[in-house]
Amino acid sequence: MNSNPSPSNSSRFEGCTLTGALSVVTQVRDAVCVIHGPSGCAHHNFSLLHATLADSDGVGVPRLISTALTENHIIFGGEEVLEACIARALELSPPPASIFVLSTCVVETIGDDVGAVCAREWGVPVIPVQTAGFLGGVFQTGIVNALLAAASCADGAPGDAGGVNLVGEKNLEADVDENQAEVARLLGMLGLQVRLRFVRDVRTRDLARLAGAAVNVLREPALLPVGEALRQRFGTPYVDSFPVGLSGTLRFLEEVAGVCGVDGSAAVEHEAAIQEGVLARFADLAGSRVAFDRVHPMLDGDAAAIGVCSELAEALDLVVDPEGTRLPAPYPAPVGTAGIRRMLHRWRRLIRGRERAR
Amino acid sequence: MLAADHRDCTNPLWPCAMTGAVACLAGLEDLAVVVHGSSGCYFYPASLIGREIHGTFLLEREVIFGTEPRLREVIEELRGRYGTIAVVNTCVPAIMGEDLQSMLDDHDVLVVDSPGFIGDFERGYRRALARTEPAVDPSFCGVNIDGVTLADPFHHGNALEARRLLGLTGASVGTTFCLDRYAAVHRAALFTVGTNPDLASGVGEWCGSLLGLDTVIETFETLASVCTGVDARPVFREVARAEQRIEKACSKYLRRFDPPRTAIFSEFAYAAFAAETLERYLDVEIACIGSRNEVRDSGFPAEQVTDFTRIRDMLLAAEPDLILGSSYERTVLPGAAFVGLTPPVRGRVLLRSRPLAGVEGTLWLMDEVLNACMDRRRRGSRAADGDR
Repeated sequence: MNSNPSPSNSSRFEGCTLTGALSVVTQVRDAVCVIHGPSGCAHHNFSLLHATLADSDGVGVPRLISTALTENHIIFGGEEVLEACIARALELSPPPASIFVLSTCVVETIGDDVGAVCAREWGVPVIPVQTAGFLGGVFQTGIVNALLAAASCADGAPGDAGGVNLVGEKNLEADVDENQAEVARLLGMLGLQVRLRFVRDVRTRDLARLAGAAVNVLREPALLPVGEALRQRFGTPYVDSFPVGLSGTLRFLEEVAGVCGVDGSAAVEHEAAIQEGVLARFADLAGSRVAFDRVHPMLDGDAAAIGVCSELAEALDLVVDPEGTRLPAPYPAPVGTAGIRRMLHRWRRLIRGRERAR
Repeated sequence: MLAADHRDCTNPLWPCAMTGAVACLAGLEDLAVVVHGSSGCYFYPASLIGREIHGTFLLEREVIFGTEPRLREVIEELRGRYGTIAVVNTCVPAIMGEDLQSMLDDHDVLVVDSPGFIGDFERGYRRALARTEPAVDPSFCGVNIDGVTLADPFHHGNALEARRLLGLTGASVGTTFCLDRYAAVHRAALFTVGTNPDLASGVGEWCGSLLGLDTVIETFETLASVCTGVDARPVFREVARAEQRIEKACSKYLRRFDPPRTAIFSEFAYAAFAAETLERYLDVEIACIGSRNEVRDSGFPAEQVTDFTRIRDMLLAAEPDLILGSSYERTVLPGAAFVGLTPPVRGRVLLRSRPLAGVEGTLWLMDEVLNACMDRRRRGSRAADGDR
């Protein structure tokens, strides 16, 4: 984001429900997403998803079909167009294993009954996702609604049991796979494996594995409604966030160990030693004057991220001073010890740059 | 209602009219651009054009009770920071049917009704430009540059190259549509040259395009004949030198290799320029042209297409050695040589200004094409070595 909107009312800047939802359901690789609205809405989102895939060396392009509503449909209604579009999606090669139908604010305004069209017998799951641009909530609402919609593909009969589901990874963030690797590393220290990335790079049939996990690890506390819904439906307990901060990472190990009934003390001790090593590598920063900035004027500070900054400032003996080197508070907070290490490299670059400029 | 000619669109690849309007207006300094709609409608053009724009960021309650108070709130905040404010309407407020211009009668605001559902990027661009009411100053015997849009990765390079060439000939540079001060729109010069005829302004007397070496010569011949004081000879000499260098490089390539079978995907004017240039200097076979916008007569196999599924089919059928297009096309055949001609060009760092127009533009195109083709052959050789 490189713009400066106005006036200042941050509650308005939380993004489009449709984009949030697409960031989830486009990760079901054998699905097709039908976007019921003008083609511009689909283009905006396809462009964003394409950019993200290109930057993360992702493979494959999500299949989005726009109903491409025009002025006529807006006047006379678009349900017939939606029906034809779903039928065409089913004719694509390879045929989709599922279809997610997402609406837009235009459709919400004209009042099409998307749910009724999806409820017809189509031969594969045709799942409406509650999205209506800004009329349906914000970006995060779209993520929550999409996760709940995707969960409807899980049948509750797990086959096998155990393992850990990662719920609601931020698929648009550049380091999503590095964060997953860090969580998998920590879980591995407890003898646990990732069972399902819900939802990242999966097929429709994989979603059935949502049931039967030992624990669901939510990406962030904003996904509590999802964690709670899955707990009620499948009886799976949840941990409400990926590990954040030095002490938070150790607490994460303890919490997961407790939920899964394993002894986590050795893992905690080992991780604490790793953290000491990381801090030693950045000991040269001691005494540096720093100030923490919001990452963007449009974004409120992330409390977890600010907590990480304060913790690291203390651990590294940094001096927080409004005149110090401006360090952007991370958004979102770095995940685990590895996330902190990568962030400290960025901090050191900025601090040294400021020193050189003097 | 399902019209017989209505087609849905798989993975649409081209921006909507609202984005075109914003890209046009945001190129004009001293003009605040306000996207009147949701945050979703704001974020896409904001990320695409890289200039400061503003938004009303409508919420549901404003759709129910009316958007006027919110629009006024934003305009009041911007007042004083800019000479003029332009409001670009989006789909939902357009459907609501509010008369924005009447609402804002007491403000000096330019309302551009360009919701996404009216059509494509070019349509919105033209509608916004017309709404600024450009005017020619009959006493200004200079040359305007048009076809420039912030959404084009070549926009800055094209503007610089056009100004450079005009400077070589002693011509006075008029208004750059749209990369200039807002006031310049209302005192444009008498004559105009274009860097992208798909976005021609219609302002001033059209003297021709700057896409392609032959076209540059024709355009400057015209300028020299109508515009007092223009000496086109420095440009002709530069074109001759450039042509020599291109012919030498292409001859060397063709001594070793066959011409690449080529597929081009871009706005039509850029595609036609690239096809003519490659056919002329490298004797390439143009397998297909997929134009993002309306197709004109060109003698090449061309169709208008923004549906990614159709583009994939075209590429798989054409089996090109070389693709000129966006990174969307690159994903279909990652083994083909690729030159980024069309936004988005992802996965590559693009910091400096690159022209596609003018003498430097043709040189850039040939650089990229020859290097991409040779790199592809080297990759192929390395892969074969690895197999052995």
